Amino acid sequence: MREIGRLVLVLVVICSVSAGALAWVRDALALRIEQQSDFYVRGPALERLFGRPAAQLLNNKVMVDMGGVSYPVFFTRENGEVSGLAVEAPGHGGYAGDIVIMIGLDRARNQMLGVEIVSHGETPGVGAQVEKEAFRQQWQGLSANEATALRGEGGAIDAITGATFSSRAMVDGTNQVTALIKEHQEEILALIAAIPDQAGPEVLP
Amino acid sequence: MSILMMVIGAIFVNNILLAQYLGNCPFCGVSKKLGTAGGMGAAVTFVATLASVITWLVYHHLLLPLDLEYMKTLVFILVIAALVQLVEIFLKKQSRALYDSLGIYLPLITTNCAVMGIALLNIKYDHGLLETTVFSAASAAGFALAILLFAGVRERLFLSPVPVAMRGTAVALVTAGVMSLAFLGFAGMGQ
Amino acid sequence: MNFRQALTHGFWRDLPPFRLVLGLCPSLAVTSAAENGLGMGLAVTFVLVFSNMFISLLRKVIPDKVRIASYIVVIATLVVLVEMVMKAFFFPLSQKLGIYIPLIVVNCIILGRAEAFAARNPVLISMADGISVGLGFTISLGLVGSLREILGSGTWFGMSVFGESFEPFGLMVQAPGAFLCLGILLGLMNAWSRRRGEIFIQT
Repeated sequence: MREIGRLVLVLVVICSVSAGALAWVRDALALRIEQQSDFYVRGPALERLFGRPAAQLLNNKVMVDMGGVSYPVFFTRENGEVSGLAVEAPGHGGYAGDIVIMIGLDRARNQMLGVEIVSHGETPGVGAQVEKEAFRQQWQGLSANEATALRGEGGAIDAITGATFSSRAMVDGTNQVTALIKEHQEEILALIAAIPDQAGPEVLP
Repeated sequence: MSILMMVIGAIFVNNILLAQYLGNCPFCGVSKKLGTAGGMGAAVTFVATLASVITWLVYHHLLLPLDLEYMKTLVFILVIAALVQLVEIFLKKQSRALYDSLGIYLPLITTNCAVMGIALLNIKYDHGLLETTVFSAASAAGFALAILLFAGVRERLFLSPVPVAMRGTAVALVTAGVMSLAFLGFAGMGQ
Repeated sequence: MNFRQALTHGFWRDLPPFRLVLGLCPSLAVTSAAENGLGMGLAVTFVLVFSNMFISLLRKVIPDKVRIASYIVVIATLVVLVEMVMKAFFFPLSQKLGIYIPLIVVNCIILGRAEAFAARNPVLISMADGISVGLGFTISLGLVGSLREILGSGTWFGMSVFGESFEPFGLMVQAPGAFLCLGILLGLMNAWSRRRGEIFIQT
């Protein structure tokens, strides 16, 4: 009996110390990890969509909930008005899991600026071709709040030959974004209004 | 239909051992005889599938709700270790012969990167419970297939004139490389 | 073994993964570029040194029956720490190493040294063992990574080595190349060993 008591005690002590140490480190580093993740993973996509350095855009971020999933929405402001939005969505059904895309939206014209791939695990030379400019160009000018589909399924997007799953995942992610914009536009603008205007580009003397 | 694609993908295209590099230690250690290779393959398939299902349940119903996602490495390995212990005890009582033939390789399944790797991949690919079960069983079956093929080749190799410097693990690795090359031919299948 | 032996044996006599045939998975998986191999090696060294330290410290306290479970908890804790620190300070590297960072926990080298050495030796010498085996592993990974990167991408640590006209041997950065590279390197090491007259059994 004493022996079992000792076994349990040693294990409990070791596990507690371990759990405590991990929780402490996690609290200390959580914010920094999120910032790093934003900077390296989303930063490049944001830069390409808006043509501005990521550092200016990463703080302009709100999280919008739809169907239990949290979507990051980045925004740009011009003259106090929200001029552009970038919504990140995980497109389901890719060959190797989700294809995470970011869609840039022009609010003035209610159109898409384009689509960028944030992350994917598709096969190089096959599904990974969704990265190609020629394929992604099809997103420029699409309506910001109407769903789309592959050309063979009633829509306007030409799939990549031999990469149907990957193409379809892109469409799925796009439709999530259009649904989000359609249903939650007011909520998004309200959340953005709560964020103060950051210092803009350098003011020249 | 997509379940079938997943199975083919897991066994051939992204073979857990020859394309994803997981499960190499037992690969080089156990694959000398067809019999032990088969036993190891079966044991890993069983443990990997069960471990993946349990870790999936723990992850989605315990870790995520409690915001303990970062603990998954620690929790998963403990689950796997406990599972292997239970399997050991069970086999010892129920099938002594199988227990003896696996020998020390049974506890070694705990540190088999394939088992832990498959559990982690299920989380990375965001699989549902059914997908997890199928993916894990298929991936582990891919491991078993690779290890069986390998054992067959190695038995032949043992009787062949291999240069002294290359004997043993060295030529085994080169053989694995050629097999991996063969499996590379499956890339892109099923799109 | 004495302190000096502990500090040096990992660099040739027990060099992982060639002599100490453990830790093959990362040797194949993360060596497509020299930088990745080196990063992984250093992460493993960190975990190895501190796991040896803690396990040696606790070696008289941990009852035999829960030995393996305790070791696993200690090692896994260190690995999760490394995971978090890497994501916070070396994010791009952590992305490239992917799931192989949490897989350090099943790296047989760490559990192997814990069982074989740290469990029965004092703290400082265990740490020395950790340093030598870990750094030896790092050098191996760096070597394999460099070879694969130079031949397979024409670069070394991202810097172009051969210039524009080089047609890279693309296979080297994929799975078959990894196996071949490791196998041939091992064969060369065996040949060198035999020339030096070392009695070396490699099965």
